[in-house]
Amino acid sequence: MATGESTSHFWNIGVLDSLSDDSLQEIAESYNGFCVATQTLVTGAGDLSVDSEFVAVVHGLMKHGLESLVRDHFLQVLEETFERNGASKFWRHFDVFSNFAELKKNNEFDINEDEIQQVLCNALEEISLEKQYEEKCLLMLVHALHSYKDQISGERHDSEAERDYFVSKYQLIVSSVLMASLPRHFPVILHWYFKRRLEELSTIMDEECNEDSSQSKDDMDLDEKGKICTKVGAMDVDDCYKQRMFSENSRLVKNIGKVVLDLRSLGFTSMAEDAYASAIFLLLKAKVHDLAGDDFRSSVLQSIKSWIQSVPLQFLHALLVYLGDTISYESTSSGIKSPLAPQPASCCPGIDAPSEGLVRWKLRLEYFAYETLQDLRIAKLFEIIVDYPESSPAIEDLKLCLEYTGQHAKLVESFISALRYRLLTAGASTNDILHQYVSTIKALRTIDPAGVFLEAVGEPIRDYLRGRKDTIKCIVTMLTDGTSGNSSASGNSGDSLLEELNRDEEMQENVGTDDDFNTDDRQAWINATRWQPDPVEADPLKGSRNQRKVDILGMIVGIIGSKDQLVNEYRTMLAEKLLNKSDYDIDAEIRTLELLKIQFGESSLQKCEIMLNDLIDSKRANTNIKPTISQPSKTSTQIGENTIPMDVVSATIISSNFWPPIQDEPLNLPGPIDQLLSDYANRFHEIKTPRKLQWKKSLGTVKLELQFEDRVMQFTVAPIHASIIMQFQDQTSWTSKNLAAAVGVPMDVLNRRINFWITKGVIAETSGADFAQVYTLMEKMADTSKNGGSGGGSQELLGGDEEEERSVASVENQLRKEMTVYEKFILGMLTNFGSMALDRIHNTLKMFCIADPPYDKSLQQLQSFLSGLVSEEKLELRDGMYFLKK
Amino acid sequence: MATVNGQIETAQGNITTPSKQPLPAAKSVDSQSVLKRLQSELMALMMSGESGISAFPEEDNIFFWKGTITGSKDTVFEGTEYKLTLSFPNDYPFKPPKVKFETTCFHPNVDLHGNICLDILQDKWSSAYDVRTILLSIQSLLGEPNNSSPLNPQAAQLWSNQQEYRKMVEKLYKPPPSA
Repeated sequence: MATGESTSHFWNIGVLDSLSDDSLQEIAESYNGFCVATQTLVTGAGDLSVDSEFVAVVHGLMKHGLESLVRDHFLQVLEETFERNGASKFWRHFDVFSNFAELKKNNEFDINEDEIQQVLCNALEEISLEKQYEEKCLLMLVHALHSYKDQISGERHDSEAERDYFVSKYQLIVSSVLMASLPRHFPVILHWYFKRRLEELSTIMDEECNEDSSQSKDDMDLDEKGKICTKVGAMDVDDCYKQRMFSENSRLVKNIGKVVLDLRSLGFTSMAEDAYASAIFLLLKAKVHDLAGDDFRSSVLQSIKSWIQSVPLQFLHALLVYLGDTISYESTSSGIKSPLAPQPASCCPGIDAPSEGLVRWKLRLEYFAYETLQDLRIAKLFEIIVDYPESSPAIEDLKLCLEYTGQHAKLVESFISALRYRLLTAGASTNDILHQYVSTIKALRTIDPAGVFLEAVGEPIRDYLRGRKDTIKCIVTMLTDGTSGNSSASGNSGDSLLEELNRDEEMQENVGTDDDFNTDDRQAWINATRWQPDPVEADPLKGSRNQRKVDILGMIVGIIGSKDQLVNEYRTMLAEKLLNKSDYDIDAEIRTLELLKIQFGESSLQKCEIMLNDLIDSKRANTNIKPTISQPSKTSTQIGENTIPMDVVSATIISSNFWPPIQDEPLNLPGPIDQLLSDYANRFHEIKTPRKLQWKKSLGTVKLELQFEDRVMQFTVAPIHASIIMQFQDQTSWTSKNLAAAVGVPMDVLNRRINFWITKGVIAETSGADFAQVYTLMEKMADTSKNGGSGGGSQELLGGDEEEERSVASVENQLRKEMTVYEKFILGMLTNFGSMALDRIHNTLKMFCIADPPYDKSLQQLQSFLSGLVSEEKLELRDGMYFLKK
Repeated sequence: MATVNGQIETAQGNITTPSKQPLPAAKSVDSQSVLKRLQSELMALMMSGESGISAFPEEDNIFFWKGTITGSKDTVFEGTEYKLTLSFPNDYPFKPPKVKFETTCFHPNVDLHGNICLDILQDKWSSAYDVRTILLSIQSLLGEPNNSSPLNPQAAQLWSNQQEYRKMVEKLYKPPPSA
């Protein structure tokens, strides 16, 4: 009241003097009456009977021009009342959940969800009632003010503007009161409420989908049975069912809509929107995670999209319609259709003209879905690529997502760190890394045809692989894998590089021929003969495929640096393979070589071709020599009773200039065999004068059969094993020293090699006098506990040593040999020129080191070699110049 | 009694074929063969690993080599190192190369300009000699000079007094730069 007076004082300061005592008296009375009337009206709890009295006092005050006093006082009283009756009561409802936020953090979902829903609805209803009542009071005031004005002017005024002013003023009061006293947990409660409701809705929708699909399946059955008449009935049932579901949906949506509407009227518009938006996003995220999961074999993007259409968009549509945001109210009736209803071309199903708000929502939701799925897939990209090509649907999804979001950099970053952490470690085998590399190339090609990101991702792998010694070997194995058939990594034939080469070959053939049918036929035939069809084959864009394959091979070769190294390694492996062949079947190798030629050019593979030709020539020479040799062998039969028939020998005759260096160990073969070999060599000399045959006696394979008292064993072994066991034919017990002398190998070699027979249970090792090992032949199977059941069976064990014995010097050894030549040259030139810069050494080597093999290293290779010499303290590096270390 | 029935299925033989290294087409057979000869001499020299002698062609000209000789142990030249130049004529190896000391060498058979008086580099030259033998000959010449026909009479006179000679060598010796 005091404030009221002071306000009037302030307002009427100019006219105060002109007021008579009477009028003052009248004003004071009217004001007091007004205050009382207002109080009773506002707190009257629905009793609006004070109407006429109220109007009278208002008129009294208005007469004296105190309209603003009336307004301000009335609004203030309203505010106080609302604060007391509305807001504080409203918040009191939620006091129970004051620790709700904390509970949620602790994941304690033991709150009764129905209760919270109930409380929210009740509270909203109550406060809405209060608000409605106060609005009515406000309208009375407006009415009173208005009627006075009508009286004064004698004509009717438009009350609309006046009313709007009061309503908006009141609205402001309500929301400011509520906001000022907002408890912290209320947004959480709202969020939670919308989440539950949406989940409920989603479940209903899902059920509907399922029911619908099963329903349609029934329909199909009926169709098949030809009972079309009953189908009509079924459709009716279907419609009824849909109607029921629909009503349930709309009831739920209406509930939510009402809550949103109430909240809006209380000024919580943005808070409510935030709450249901975040609820929708959470639900969408959960759905994406649920759909996508760890299954990379199917595309989920489409189902996510259709889910967005069917659940959140339907909900939003309904909500927006309910809230009256959409212009077309009448479309509501037809608005909510089954999500499975035939979708029109427009983005929203069943909505003829989607409102702008809905379209915006759709875009937001889809972007969010894309981003979520993309993040999910990027996090799992490593696994996805491991599963490639089975996981190509997931890759396709990721591609679409990235096209939408453009966050390729995220992919690169995350994938590289995954690679570093999971692949590029000491524990991963080089083969696995290479296969993953190839898969990565293939997979990322799909996502990023330009290859920019692939370059970034591939770099760490390449760098790492360069640091591994067996990289080249593994690459060559991958390359030739599939032709040999007995290769260890046969499980990954889909990744075989040979297939890439194969298809390249086809590609080049295809380029040559114009006849499409012809190429298709050939393609079909090749597809048919292939063991496993390659999924990439499904790609109809032949041109780009060709491009990609060349790239894959190029990127693989790029790891090594130069194709020469690769060819060299291949030559070594080919030599190994050819030397281990006992038949002359080299069709597979010829095919591989032809494919390699296409890739690397004829000239670089010339030596390999000569090696293959050697095999072919060997076969021919063998068939020529054998008949001629059988004649003199008859005469030598008289010498010993255990002479061997000559036709058991087949020789592989190699032109050693073109083969990689072959490791030869001296070895004494048993006499008759030695005789046989020299006969063979003589015959060869007769036929192919002036050529002479030099045997590499330690190489090759021997098939032999051991006959014991109680068993017969068959073996395929290296010559040294055969020589050892032959020694036991005449003498069943040997000391290791004597045996080594007899076989003609050093003791340590013998001890290592004889292990083979020991593990087979053929020979026993005992220590005799003077700590010398004595080897004794095990005559009876009973003597040995091992290999009980294997007697008589053929033992296919070629060179069965623990460490793989190689007949061909490895590329590493060759490289080391080359490097010693360079070292001598470098030392030589530095002796004479004092100091030289790196590029001068490089040029000088290029100029003068043209021996076999010529200097073919890059500047970088030379530099690392030189720094090796520096660390060996042979050289010194000062100011970019190399010196001899003195 | 165990019998072993050996059956040799395969063994690797090896034909020694004369190595055919196709010659690159040459403009002049002569200069081509000189080039080849010098290259093989370089290869042989590098691979021989002879200590105390060394030579290497200039960067762009294989007819012009730089050589290095260290004085043999137990001679007055022990611990010294001498640079030489070898320039090969176009009809090498039918004519000897011109060999000169670049480092000053106080020696009866080496003049002040570095010219060497050595029979195999003049009238006794044979195409059987090569860079390696030339360098070895010069190295042994250091220890065993031919005092009967000296290019440096002072050195020839002093040779009898090995201690004085050693001092002279040390006094006149200028180690090659950047060695």
